[in-house]
Amino acid sequence: MTTSNDGSLAVGLYDVDKAFYGVKANDRVNFELARGEVHALLGENGAGKSTLCSILAGLYRPDAGEMRFEGELVHFKSPKDAFAAGVGMVYQHFRLVSNLTVAENLALGHPDLGIRIDQKELYRSATELGEKYGLPVDPGARIWQLSVGEQQRVEILKLLYRDAKILILDEPTAVLTPQEGQSLFKTMRQLANEGRSVIFVSHKLDEVKQVSDRVTVLRDGKTVGGVATADAEPKDLARMMVGRDLVLPTRETSGELGGAMLDVSDLRVKSDRGLTAVNGVSLAVNAGEVVGIAGVSGNGQRELAQGLVGLRTAITGSVVLDGEDVTKNTVLDRIRKGFAYVPQNRLGMGLSPGLTTEENLALKAFRRPPYSKGRQLVASAFRDEGARQIEQYDIRGVRPGLPIRLLSGGNLQKALLAREVELDPKVLILRSPTRGLDVGATEAVRTLVLSERDKGVAILLISEDLDELMALADRLLVMYEGEIVGEMPTEEASAERLGLLMAGQRDGSDL
Amino acid sequence: MTRRFTVEPRGLASNQLKLFVPIASVLAALVVSGVFLLVTGENPLAVYAKMVDASFGSPRGVAETLISSTPLILVGVAAAIAFKMQVWNIGGEGQFLIGAVFAAGAAIWLGDGMPAAIALPVVILAGGIGGAFWASVSAVPLVYLGTNEIITTLMLNFIAINFVNFLIFGSNSPWRDPAVSTFPSGRPIPGTARLPEFFQRLDVGVFVAVGLAFIAWYLMGKTRWGFAVRIVGDSPNTALYAGISVPQKILGVFLLSGAYAGFAGGLFVSGPVGALDPRSLILGIGFTGIIVAALARLNIIAVIPVALLMGALNNSGPALQSIGVPTATVTMLQGAILLFAVAGEFFISNRIRRLETVSATTIAEAEAA
Amino acid sequence: MNDSLWTLTAVAAIGLGTPLIFATVGEVITERAGILNLGVQGMMLVGAVSGFWATFNTGSLFLGVLVAVFAGAALSAVHAFTSITLRVNQIVSGLAIAIFGLGLASFLGRAGSDPLVGNPSRAVFEPLFVGGIADWPLVGPLLFGHDVMVYLAVVVAGVSSYYLFHTRMGLSLRAVGEDPASAESAGVNVSFVRYVHVMVGGALAGAGGAYFSLALVPTWQDAPIGQAGWIAIALVILASWRPWRAVFAAYLFGAAVRVQFTLQTLGEPWGNIPSTLLAMLPFVLAIIAMIVLTSGKRARFLGAPAALAIPYFREQR
Repeated sequence: MTTSNDGSLAVGLYDVDKAFYGVKANDRVNFELARGEVHALLGENGAGKSTLCSILAGLYRPDAGEMRFEGELVHFKSPKDAFAAGVGMVYQHFRLVSNLTVAENLALGHPDLGIRIDQKELYRSATELGEKYGLPVDPGARIWQLSVGEQQRVEILKLLYRDAKILILDEPTAVLTPQEGQSLFKTMRQLANEGRSVIFVSHKLDEVKQVSDRVTVLRDGKTVGGVATADAEPKDLARMMVGRDLVLPTRETSGELGGAMLDVSDLRVKSDRGLTAVNGVSLAVNAGEVVGIAGVSGNGQRELAQGLVGLRTAITGSVVLDGEDVTKNTVLDRIRKGFAYVPQNRLGMGLSPGLTTEENLALKAFRRPPYSKGRQLVASAFRDEGARQIEQYDIRGVRPGLPIRLLSGGNLQKALLAREVELDPKVLILRSPTRGLDVGATEAVRTLVLSERDKGVAILLISEDLDELMALADRLLVMYEGEIVGEMPTEEASAERLGLLMAGQRDGSDL
Repeated sequence: MTRRFTVEPRGLASNQLKLFVPIASVLAALVVSGVFLLVTGENPLAVYAKMVDASFGSPRGVAETLISSTPLILVGVAAAIAFKMQVWNIGGEGQFLIGAVFAAGAAIWLGDGMPAAIALPVVILAGGIGGAFWASVSAVPLVYLGTNEIITTLMLNFIAINFVNFLIFGSNSPWRDPAVSTFPSGRPIPGTARLPEFFQRLDVGVFVAVGLAFIAWYLMGKTRWGFAVRIVGDSPNTALYAGISVPQKILGVFLLSGAYAGFAGGLFVSGPVGALDPRSLILGIGFTGIIVAALARLNIIAVIPVALLMGALNNSGPALQSIGVPTATVTMLQGAILLFAVAGEFFISNRIRRLETVSATTIAEAEAA
Repeated sequence: MNDSLWTLTAVAAIGLGTPLIFATVGEVITERAGILNLGVQGMMLVGAVSGFWATFNTGSLFLGVLVAVFAGAALSAVHAFTSITLRVNQIVSGLAIAIFGLGLASFLGRAGSDPLVGNPSRAVFEPLFVGGIADWPLVGPLLFGHDVMVYLAVVVAGVSSYYLFHTRMGLSLRAVGEDPASAESAGVNVSFVRYVHVMVGGALAGAGGAYFSLALVPTWQDAPIGQAGWIAIALVILASWRPWRAVFAAYLFGAAVRVQFTLQTLGEPWGNIPSTLLAMLPFVLAIIAMIVLTSGKRARFLGAPAALAIPYFREQR
């Protein structure tokens, strides 16, 4: 590893706070970036990495703390200010105008260009920059014609075209093939050798180890340490990232297991981008069992859940529910046959935000009595059933006519879960059910999940929150890049082992 | 300390606000039009008084107001149910006219040998079918190909307008009155296909329209289908998740919307007009339906009183001429009402607050409130 | 003899197409910014009446067009405010502009003790060249037989095309209509770009309206523009959001209307197509173009701005 740090400080963030709606995303974060280094930001989902980067890039303004550029205090009001100071960011969701050409995207909003756009000159400098930094791309191509990897190159070229001194790459390898990743690392090293600084956000240990000079680990919005990469063992980093020792809460373990209620074999599902997101997953969940799937988000969890309930079609493989193959069945069929699903996106998918709580509680069952009689709705059933469930599941803040979107997150989740449980499902699929909830609501949700398990429901819990998985699951699977890469009983799980598997280090396990 | 204004999404708008905004829209439109009246040397208050008098000051005025309101109720419902579903059917004008073509065609085809008990329902239904058919020209490409319905419905209005003109002015179609050759007009439909009048010139169509509005309200609010439709309109993703067939619902609502505009055409032909007469039909009634729906805030029952208001405005136009004020005052007023009504939606869904300093905690508080 | 009849037909077609060029190019620019303004008819009418009024009172055609341009821009600014600042429904707002403009134009033409209605314009656009080159056979009347507005329309289309595809502001404009969030993060002020271009669109619609009342139908009457504003919206699609193509689409439409007229005078069988059917033509073609070309993924080949009619909420925390 080359270390061409001249050591001088490029940026320093000191005691930076940033809260969203009362939740602290960054809590007295300290971060120093030297000139000429590749600096990795490591942390779980929600650790505050993206927030920290967005503050640096001028997208968010910190609530407290200071930011110094080469020692001078700065306040960025917008990404424009950050650009002017030489900071540019490549977001996870690219900010390219897909119908414009590569060259046009480079020129867009560029402060130093004249009134007329000189296409030839633009093409020439795009090609030149691309060649220089190992980012080859056709300047005349339109963005939508490019692969994701090429689009990322355009994003980096956009920053270099404006001569950014500090480049922030937010999880850049998440969308790349391993080969593209290697080529990106070369570019990153080259940029650092030129005296630019690169912030590399990742949760993949081997990549961090390979490319970075230093690592800062974030956890729960706080900085837990900064070390020179060379001195850090992957094991230590994994522990720092996951943090605490995982405690197994005392709880009733599952009783007698029934037969396999959900049996999935060799399931392949495509993502919205048309890539294979679920790549040959096989798993089984027995009646009366909670199976947890751990993994960093974006490794195919969403597509897996949607493939199981019928919102995405399977390319290969089968989904068998209680002995019956439902691979080709519609969403409605699968609901009728016993699938219940709590999606991660509560208001965008699980609930109809503009309808009332009572209506949302009937969202799936409205086709049957008591909610309807023939083709007609029964208003009293909406009222009475609604009142019963609101009472039974302790959903608070409901007022007549109030759209459900105005309830708090905990109450939204209680309503969503109540509706799914009331379907008397055979299989219940949960995605991060306690994400963003306060302690009380978390407890209520967990209790409900365990009582469903005891009723004999087969539960598949897909989550990024290890505490949640430890608290609820009887068995843990780890998902990485669309595959199940590890399996263990919950008692045998450790932070270190899970962390390594989630970060793509298969060798750490005893599989 | 910087002082600035901030716009925040409002939670639940109060019922008072929901009532206040449309009323304020009408008042603001009266003020704006009043300015133009003043500038051109008229006394706005006198003009407005004359309008009220023309529409409500005499039994005949009231009857004419209700006649004007009848089709507006139905085109208003047509726009309201579509817009509520996020289906931007702005083709009410065309669907109204093709409904009129179908209705007049059915009446002429049935002839006068048919008893009214059969002829009337057939004619009105034919109107609905015509409207739904015209809507399907936009709806089918929307559902199966994803073709933007805004432009197609808009264009279909002008195709329908020119088509009606063609039937009467440009051809010897069965809709044209063969008895008159110098100044072409629509062939009168048989008396058995005419709605009976009961008060001045007012026919029973007004009750049919109100009844149909209530049926739409029932369909949308009280049936399983309507519930599924409301979910699709509120959040298509949620509907898919709940196992609802989204394309089928969109198609259904679009056709229903077209049918309602078509019913309006049917009622107008078998009611006051009695023929496919371009001069009595091409008045922008379908466009006015959009004003009605917007001012009623897409509430089907509220469409009825709002249609009455717009009908009164339409009806007062000719009376203005008698005092030397242009009839177009009404159109100007209606345009302004629509403008203020749509702008008013901003205040129903947002509130403006003045903040001393903006910090995350105040945003959090605002969010919690 | 027939030759000169056809030449006259072509000259007239170009005249009929001219206001459509102004309005269509204006709407192209507006929609390129991601704002759908269905109020073209209203803005053209207000341009027509205010332009007529200004010329009627001053005798100056220049002032007439200038006033029309400002009136169109002012009306479009209302639409810009509702759709950019208030972010309410652009479709309904545009229709409101159309209806209000229709009412206002007719009102202003008839209001007062000495109304404009029925009065001939005090000045009318005349051909720029008389004699000389304008008398050359065929080429003369076709290229040099027009008034200044005809040439101006072509210049406007050419300048717009260059602006759109070869300048920095044009690039920002296209980006804002395609993907405002990305444009904003690249440093473009989305609201500003949108306001400016919606108002430019309104100004051009106003100019188009004035051409009706000061050249094509130079006696004031209610709604002297026919369905031109709505036709312009159709032509935007046929021109696939490109200013140059708007010129051809507008001339073609002008020719379709005019050729019919000529055939009628010649007593040809084709002359029997009723004008009411012909009037449907642009609308039918626009629907076919919409269905064939803009459905699904083909839209991007056609050039429809991806963010058209979608309100933009700035990412701000």
